[in-house]
Amino acid sequence: MVLAGVVITFLGFVISVMSLGMTSSVSGRMVMVLIGLAVSLVGIIGVINRAFLKNALWRK
Amino acid sequence: MKKTILLITFALNASMALAQAPAAPAAPPPAPVPITDADIRAVEAPKADDRLKGDPGASITGTVADISVADSKKGMTVADVLNQIGQNKIAINFTWTLITGFLVMFMQAGFAIVETGLCRAKNANHTMMMNFMVYGVGMLAYYLIGFTIQMGGVGGSANLGGVNPLNTEWGITLFGKSFGLFGQHGLFLTQGGTYDVGVMVMFLFQMVFMDTALTIVTGTCAERWKYAAFIVASFVMGAFIYPLFANWAWGNGWLANLGANFGLGKGYSDFAGSGVVHAVGGLTALAGGLIVGPRLGKYNRDGKPNAIVGHDIVIVLTGCFILAFGWFGFNPGSTLGASGNGALRISSVAVNTMLAGMTGGFGAMFYMWTRYGKPDASMSGNGLLAGLVAITAPSGFVNTIGASIIGLIAGVLVCLSVEFVDRVMKVDDPVGAISVHGVNGLWGVISVGLFADGKSNYGGSWNGVTGSVTGLFYGDAGQLVAQLIGVATLIGFVFTFSFVVFWLIELIVGNRVAAKVELEGLDIPEMGQLGYPEFELKAGA
Repeated sequence: MVLAGVVITFLGFVISVMSLGMTSSVSGRMVMVLIGLAVSLVGIIGVINRAFLKNALWRK
Repeated sequence: MKKTILLITFALNASMALAQAPAAPAAPPPAPVPITDADIRAVEAPKADDRLKGDPGASITGTVADISVADSKKGMTVADVLNQIGQNKIAINFTWTLITGFLVMFMQAGFAIVETGLCRAKNANHTMMMNFMVYGVGMLAYYLIGFTIQMGGVGGSANLGGVNPLNTEWGITLFGKSFGLFGQHGLFLTQGGTYDVGVMVMFLFQMVFMDTALTIVTGTCAERWKYAAFIVASFVMGAFIYPLFANWAWGNGWLANLGANFGLGKGYSDFAGSGVVHAVGGLTALAGGLIVGPRLGKYNRDGKPNAIVGHDIVIVLTGCFILAFGWFGFNPGSTLGASGNGALRISSVAVNTMLAGMTGGFGAMFYMWTRYGKPDASMSGNGLLAGLVAITAPSGFVNTIGASIIGLIAGVLVCLSVEFVDRVMKVDDPVGAISVHGVNGLWGVISVGLFADGKSNYGGSWNGVTGSVTGLFYGDAGQLVAQLIGVATLIGFVFTFSFVVFWLIELIVGNRVAAKVELEGLDIPEMGQLGYPEFELKAGA
């Protein structure tokens, strides 16, 4: 689960960089970068953090 | 009496007549007269007798007699004078950059006592030692390899006389453009011709910035981080994590060239490091905080957080003041000079810095006062720091109104973020470093893309693109995109890289001390000595 989160977080970065090659319009790039940012945040908060919370020390 | 009145009337009439007369055509400006060596030699130096009498009025100290002459047989020439002017400019810039670097170095003391004060007394020695030794560990890593990666291909700095040997950047070609990834000159400050006075100034200034990023992590992981794991993590961060992103932003890397290569404003613009220093530190702290886990007793079984208060709010706020003082090195120093290329803007940068710190402090204080009924001291301190962190990137590009708004938003944002990290993510951050440095570092980067007013002029261009950095509110949406790509890189790449490093350390060394050690306090088990040996600590404190 944590590994998937790491991959998703990195994928967000890749999407943002890909915006440079996929379109030359500023708004098009803006949309792609925002999508990339959202993906990375889902990776950190939605996947990695959730995985750690599942096995948190204070639950035991 | 009559004579006097007549004289005054005459004089008044004459002057009125002069004032009303049509202006005579302006005389053409005199043609420039070339200065010759003979003219230079004709300038009289103060007499030896006069100099023997001393110079209390400072009228004969610093004259033509102080200009170095290249060839004593020829005497003073125009070339000697011009060389002296050039050296004076670089000397001013060296002095400015070194002194501001010394101020940034002193920020380590501020970080040390802020973090120690926010931790419990039983961990004082351990927390202080991490903050103390991160300076040396980071410097060693940066000297061995980090500086080369970051600045080895920067390609020059006019304010520091060139730093020409730092001219080899390694990169790849992507989308038909060059993507600089890391520098290659500067190992041991000798390789590739880098035994150079300008390079030394650059190294010192960049080194203290890097160390600031490293010390952010020690705050989040405090009170349960193994000292050995801290050493390894800090070394890797100083050698690779920080320098890589810093190269992309400041060392002629691909982010800096987003403007030149892809027409996105002036490229990723981070004047003094909201992203490079603070967000890198804050996101690495988040990675560390996730893996190290919360302190024992921080969360109940139902996940409800408990406040674990620090042991000395007095040193916390003193540390905040030291940091605010050091920030005058951090931001204005980032011009890398006080003479030439628009560097006189240091005054604007300094005022922006102090204003944002002020509004940040107010933002946090009033938020806490309104929400919890008291103007929380530690959060007010964090608000000041949040304002300073946020203004770090835009300080060179915005006006005072923009700076005040950026700081105010940062002050409120840090409170909201601390609550989110503490209650929703349940990541234990004893000092609030993730929120202060990570979240507000990102906010600072974004704010450049919004508030940069297009009035700054550092030699007519920025990141190789003619013109001034201009944000969305002043007409350039492309700049905001460049900034957001920087944010995406910080979250998507820097966090991931840091997380993997912490993960590997977890597998090899282990990040966390044993529960028994944590309950006892880390001072004796980890450091062999209590921070306050003559104090009787309460059980469980």
